[in-house]
Amino acid sequence: MSKKINIEARHITRVEGHGTIIVKAEDGILQQVEWQVPEAPRFFEAMLRGRSWQDVQSLVSRVCGICSISHSLAAIKGIEAAMNIQVSEQTRKFRLLAHYSEYLQSHILHIGYLVAPDLLGAKSVVPLVETHFDVVKTVIKLHRIANAWSDLLAGRTTHPITFKPGGFSKFPSEAELKELKTTLENIVPDLEAVAGVILSLAGKIPNFQRDTEYVALVEPGAYPFYDGRIASTDTQDTVAVSEFESVVNEYVVGQSTAKWARWHRDSYAVGALARFNLNSGYLLPMAAKTAKMFGLDSKCTNPYMNTIAQLVEVVQIVESSLQLIEELLTAGIKQETLKVTPQAGVGVGCVEAPRGILFHRYAFDEHGNCTSANLSIPTNQNHGNIQKDLEALVPQILDRSQDEIRLLLEMLVRAYDPCISCSTHFLDVKFV
Amino acid sequence: MMNKTVVIGLGNPLLTDEGIGVCLVEELAKLEFPGVVFHDLGTSCARVLHAIAGMEKAVFIDCAFMGEAPGVIRSFTPDDVKSVKKLGHFSLHEGDLLGTIELSSRLGECPKELLIFGIQPLDLSQGQSLSPLLAGKLEEYIKVISAELNRTY
Repeated sequence: MSKKINIEARHITRVEGHGTIIVKAEDGILQQVEWQVPEAPRFFEAMLRGRSWQDVQSLVSRVCGICSISHSLAAIKGIEAAMNIQVSEQTRKFRLLAHYSEYLQSHILHIGYLVAPDLLGAKSVVPLVETHFDVVKTVIKLHRIANAWSDLLAGRTTHPITFKPGGFSKFPSEAELKELKTTLENIVPDLEAVAGVILSLAGKIPNFQRDTEYVALVEPGAYPFYDGRIASTDTQDTVAVSEFESVVNEYVVGQSTAKWARWHRDSYAVGALARFNLNSGYLLPMAAKTAKMFGLDSKCTNPYMNTIAQLVEVVQIVESSLQLIEELLTAGIKQETLKVTPQAGVGVGCVEAPRGILFHRYAFDEHGNCTSANLSIPTNQNHGNIQKDLEALVPQILDRSQDEIRLLLEMLVRAYDPCISCSTHFLDVKFV
Repeated sequence: MMNKTVVIGLGNPLLTDEGIGVCLVEELAKLEFPGVVFHDLGTSCARVLHAIAGMEKAVFIDCAFMGEAPGVIRSFTPDDVKSVKKLGHFSLHEGDLLGTIELSSRLGECPKELLIFGIQPLDLSQGQSLSPLLAGKLEEYIKVISAELNRTY
């Protein structure tokens, strides 16, 4: 009897934005495997042209409601590079601390709300309240703490208002920093609890390997999120962030409204697993211990393990934040004066966003008005790699039922934590 | 004084009357209501979950299809209504206030008292200002909601 597989998973759930998986096969012969992105472009780069340098951060922050801190940091770093603005070590540390708050928000949201239901056999996080009350409560608590942490550093939970080219419009007080430190110290047991639950479910993470090029920032002696050079697992050479176009090599494909990217191969991957594979030697003790619990090592090529790499990073950023706060408190918070004289120039800002390496390039005229902008978003860089993963995975699982295949493919896409609406620049509005 | 009541404006101010909740919470926040905190939460129901946690009372102001004439304001509780909105469960971009309140209850952190002020819209097309009908009724809305907030304390 012939066996037909016909999967059209349109608008797969529990990802940010809309993507579609198409698989067609008959009698074990694969006819079509496609990762399609049907969202409409949002034209942020065009909107920025003609706008003042002072408006850029607040505009591009709106690219994403989850990683608005990363977009804001990339923007102000790009403006600073273009206008040759130097920032203090104190500002750099406060930015990193703000950046970490976004990591806790974003990673916990992905691990707890978007992936955990797959591992626990539920359709969403809501029914888990009945069956796994303590886990859900802990995840929500961590998310709430992350939001309050962003409020403190960025002025509000999303779309920062304190970040300015050259520094901050407002620093937290020492008392507020001390309170944050206590809060972060107190959530360590919660992180251990979440890690314990995920570890108990680790057997449900599919074992799929595909040799992949991973790309992330590297910095000597550090596990970087904010500074560094671009590195690949395919080469020892690194590239300055100002040369990022030679890395991403964006191109257009018929199946996607989002651009794809390639460097040494047809595709590459960015995100937590890429950062982990390139930098895990510099993890702090608790984070390194968490990685070891899961047997995660720097040779991992299982894309499903991206979620575990995110969990390791959550521990890393909490540990690192405790160190940062201690350094800031020891040095004492000094008020800074913001003084920027706009000038013509071109600059690149780069940070590791939770979903992967993020690049912004801006050009300004002598009045500080933006004459061109180019934003290269992590999920764009992952789309081609998702396609390659699907092509490699589907032939290995064609003997399974259609429902099983569909679930495994959706879980694969979710593992990348894609932010599709950001990658295609889409305003997703629901009428109430 | 600890804040015991949270007033949350919901909606999208880029869609004309869909922004009525946000507009009203901005206006109300300029007035004096001891013990009341105001939030513009846009269309983020995930943030509603956090904002109402542990409060004694939550008041929501939102544009609502209630089968009333455009411009009418009504107050009701979640128990008074049934949601007929179809959800795709696609992503966190999707908002469902009543579902969020249910989740909050299940978590044991929902305020005892909940009240929703719904305002029937006239125009939901793209636009950054309210329709003249709703704009002309702002004072009436503020009066009605203020009376409720003053009643509490």
